[in-house]
Amino acid sequence: MLTIDHLTKKYDGTVAVDDLNFDVKPGVVTGFLGPNGSGKSTTMRIILGLDHATKGRATIDGKNYSDLKSPLREVGALLDAKAVHPGRTARNHLRALAVSNRIKTSRVDEVLEFTGIASVADKKVGGYSLGMSQRLGIAAALLGDPHVLLFDEPVNGLDPEGIRWIREFFRSLALEGRTVFVSSHLMSEMALTADQIIVIGRGRLITQGSVDDLTATAHGTVSVRASNRDVLAAALKQKGATVELANDNALSVSGLTSDEVGETAFAAGVAVYELTPQRASLEEVFMDLTAESVEYGGSTPGAYPHE
Amino acid sequence: MSNDQRLLDVTKSEWIKFRSVRSSVMGVVVFFVLTLGLGGLISWAVRSHWNTTSQLDKLTFDPVSTSLAGILFAQFAVGVIGVLFITSEYSSGSIRTTLAAVSNRTRLVSAKIVVLILSIVVVSEVVCFATFLVGQAVFKGVVPTASLGTADVLRSVLLAGVYLTLLTVIGFSLGLIVRHSAACISIFVTILLIVPIVFAFLPSSWQDSYEKYLPSELGRSMMSPFAPANDLGAWHALLLLLAYVVVAFVVGLTMMIRRDA
Repeated sequence: MLTIDHLTKKYDGTVAVDDLNFDVKPGVVTGFLGPNGSGKSTTMRIILGLDHATKGRATIDGKNYSDLKSPLREVGALLDAKAVHPGRTARNHLRALAVSNRIKTSRVDEVLEFTGIASVADKKVGGYSLGMSQRLGIAAALLGDPHVLLFDEPVNGLDPEGIRWIREFFRSLALEGRTVFVSSHLMSEMALTADQIIVIGRGRLITQGSVDDLTATAHGTVSVRASNRDVLAAALKQKGATVELANDNALSVSGLTSDEVGETAFAAGVAVYELTPQRASLEEVFMDLTAESVEYGGSTPGAYPHE
Repeated sequence: MSNDQRLLDVTKSEWIKFRSVRSSVMGVVVFFVLTLGLGGLISWAVRSHWNTTSQLDKLTFDPVSTSLAGILFAQFAVGVIGVLFITSEYSSGSIRTTLAAVSNRTRLVSAKIVVLILSIVVVSEVVCFATFLVGQAVFKGVVPTASLGTADVLRSVLLAGVYLTLLTVIGFSLGLIVRHSAACISIFVTILLIVPIVFAFLPSSWQDSYEKYLPSELGRSMMSPFAPANDLGAWHALLLLLAYVVVAFVVGLTMMIRRDA
C-alpha cells in the first residue's frame, strides 16, 4: 500500500503539492487525475525519493523509498519513457538495472519478451519511437516483479492497440493483488482503466472514490420538453431549481430530480412531451471539479482571434 | 542469500553503464591516441632537431616530461570522461531511472567513482608507461634518455597516471555540482588552461608565490624527475591535488544528496 501523508512540496515559493493526503490500496487500479501542472508528477517523484518533500511524507508499506533494501523488487515505476541514455541498447539498460538490485539477468529477456520489444533489444534506445520507449519503461518497471507499480501518463504515445494492451495489463496486475497507481490528465482514459480515482488540482486533493461514486454524486440535469415552456420554467424556479433554455425548445433543469420535475409540471397543468434525466459523464464531472484549478487554460473554442 | 542491495551490485551496474555508451569508450580511445601519438610525435621532433638545439636547452632537457608532453592535451579527454559519466545522466534524464533503482545516493556516487577511478587509473598507467617507453626508444642514440631504473623517473611516470586519474575525478565532481555537460567542460578547461594563461600576465612575484598551487602546475611537478626552485616537490604536489579532489568530491556529493534529482 502507498500512503501519501500530508504531503507538501514548494519550489522557490510556488506550491506544487499542497497538503495532499490519500492512500492507494492493493488489488485495484487507482487513477491519479488532474490537469497538466496539477502536481501529479511531483507527487510521483516524491514517492520515488527523487524529490524531497517540504512537509509530510510518502511511504510504501510504511517505509520511505530510500529505506527500501532492494527498491526495484518492491516498486516499479515508469515516470518518463525518454529518461534513458540514448546511446545505450535496451538490453544493456535493463541489465544494468537488474544487476544493481540483484535481479537475475534471465529476467531481462522475460520482460523484453513480455513487452514485445525483444526484437529491438540490441538497438540503441535513441532510435526508439515514443511507443517503443514506453514499452521499455514498462519492461524496466516490471524487472523486479514489484508489488507496487507507478505509471506517469503511460498511454502517451501508444497506438490504440497498445492502449488496449496496457489497460488489460493494468487490470491483470491489480488482479494479482498489486498496487497499481496510474496518472493521467485524461478522464475518459481513466474511466476505462481505473477502479478508484483520485482527483487533484493545483496540488490539492479535490475528490476521491470509485468511478461509479464520482458520477453518482455529480449533479445531473433533467431535460424537459413541455406544452407551455414559460409556465413550467416559472414553476420550477419557484421550487428552487436552476432552469436554462436548451436547444430544441427543451429546458435543462438542475437541482431537482426527474420525478420532482414531472410532479411540478403536473401541478402547474403543463403537458410534458419528454422528460429525460441526464447523467453527467465522468468527463464532465472532471471538468467541473478541476475547472478552477487549471493552471494553463486556453480560451473557449471559437474565441480564436481572427484578423 | 539476501537480496539487499550492496555497493558491489551498484558498482557492477555502473560498470555495465560505463562501457555500454560510446562517449566513455571514445573518450578512452582519444585519450590513448593523444597521449601516445602526440608524445611520440613530439619526441621525434625533438630528436630530429637535436643538432640545432642550443646548449642551454640541451642542459635543461628533461626526457621524461618531453616524452609525456601529450598529456597536456590528453588531460582534457580524461576530464571529459569524468564529466560525462554523471552529466549524461542529467541531460538524458536517466538519473531518475538510476535513482529509482539505487535510492541511496551515497552508494550510487561511490559506485560511480569506483568504476571511474579503477578504469581510468589502469588506462592512464598503461598509456603513460607505454608513451614513456616509446619516447625513450625514439630518443635513443641521439638524445639523452631516462631509465625507469631511476627512482625519480619511475615516480614521474607513475604519478603522471595518478595525475590524470585525479583530473577525471575533478571532472566528475564538477559534474555533480553543475550537472550540465557544456558548463562543466568549460569550467574544467578554464581551470587547466585559462587560469595558467591569466597567471602569465600577473607580476612575477605573484607568479612565484601562487602559480605552483595551480592543478596544472601540480601535475607538472608530479611528472617531472627534477625539482625546480619554485616547486612544491612531487609528493607535496600530489597531496595538495588530492586535497583539491577530496574537497570537490565532498561538495559534489553533498549537493547531489540534498538537491532534487
